[in-house]
Amino acid sequence: MTIDLSPGRPFPDIELDDHAGNRRRLAVLVGGDPVVLQFFRGWWCPKEQAFFRRLIALQDEAEVAYSRIVSVSVDTPAVSAAFRAGLGARWTFLSDTDRTAQAELGLRETTDTLNDPYLPAVFTLFPDLTIHRAYDGYWFWGRPTTEELRRDMREISTAVRADWAAPAA
Amino acid sequence: MTRCWLALLESPATDATAQARAYEADGSPAGWLAAWRQHVKPARAARRVDDRLVDVDGGPGWVSLVLPPDGARLPFDDLAVQQARRRVLAEPPQDALSTLMRDASHFEGAITVARGMGVARLNDDPFARIFPARILRIGAGVLGAAAAPAGPVIERYGSANPWPWDRFDTRAP
Repeated sequence: MTIDLSPGRPFPDIELDDHAGNRRRLAVLVGGDPVVLQFFRGWWCPKEQAFFRRLIALQDEAEVAYSRIVSVSVDTPAVSAAFRAGLGARWTFLSDTDRTAQAELGLRETTDTLNDPYLPAVFTLFPDLTIHRAYDGYWFWGRPTTEELRRDMREISTAVRADWAAPAA
Repeated sequence: MTRCWLALLESPATDATAQARAYEADGSPAGWLAAWRQHVKPARAARRVDDRLVDVDGGPGWVSLVLPPDGARLPFDDLAVQQARRRVLAEPPQDALSTLMRDASHFEGAITVARGMGVARLNDDPFARIFPARILRIGAGVLGAAAAPAGPVIERYGSANPWPWDRFDTRAP
């Protein structure tokens, strides 16, 4: 049965190896912050390379905005580490090399029988892994713009930061 | 997060939560690395540390211990300190690391714990570009391993917490 990955539903707390080969659980990576959870085909896809440039542009804001980014593919940890370093990304990449999470989530791109990759998808999540918005990136324009990601991070932060209305005297 | 303190002492502490002998890279004695989990500062040289780094069951390891020269300190928000945190996130993770601090606004050193293949990379500690580093071998019983920061956040979660402690405390102070 396919898991419902609609807004308002809980995202499964998947556990995968990170780019350094350490086992990591999504809930721990998210901590107490809003998160952009990205599933991508692989380093070889030009559309992913273009979309990563958006995330890299967002990184300088996320690093001071208590917001996290997690990227997931079927690439091996070594390939993910090399791709991450080449991009200049400073967030965690997860490797689903045996495609167990891909099957659990129902996010296999069935039209690519050569690489058997993840369907490009982006989810913005609350710290408790509740899905805020889901973006189907099969067509490039289905992916969130940086402005949409900023909006989502703001909306989640508004909801989860008890002091969002700044204490002032 | 509990308050946790770390110091390199000339002799063992009588009240430390955990401690172990420290040695220079050439094997000569370098004192004792001691840690305390308590609210009150335990020793003049002690600095606050991310308490996930301290583990009484931790095995021996190597550290890069970065400390400012006497009288020197740098704002935690200094661009050099920001960039060192970025480099830590960009590079392959070590077993554990923490910035060190005595107040809420100054960077007063860092400690990076390495074992195995990571030991060779201690010579390229990003924090060693700010203040001098000592590479020390530490005995068992004081330093553990902690998951690498998720990234890309380089800010502290509250100015009282050393980086990379990664969440706002929900308990009352």
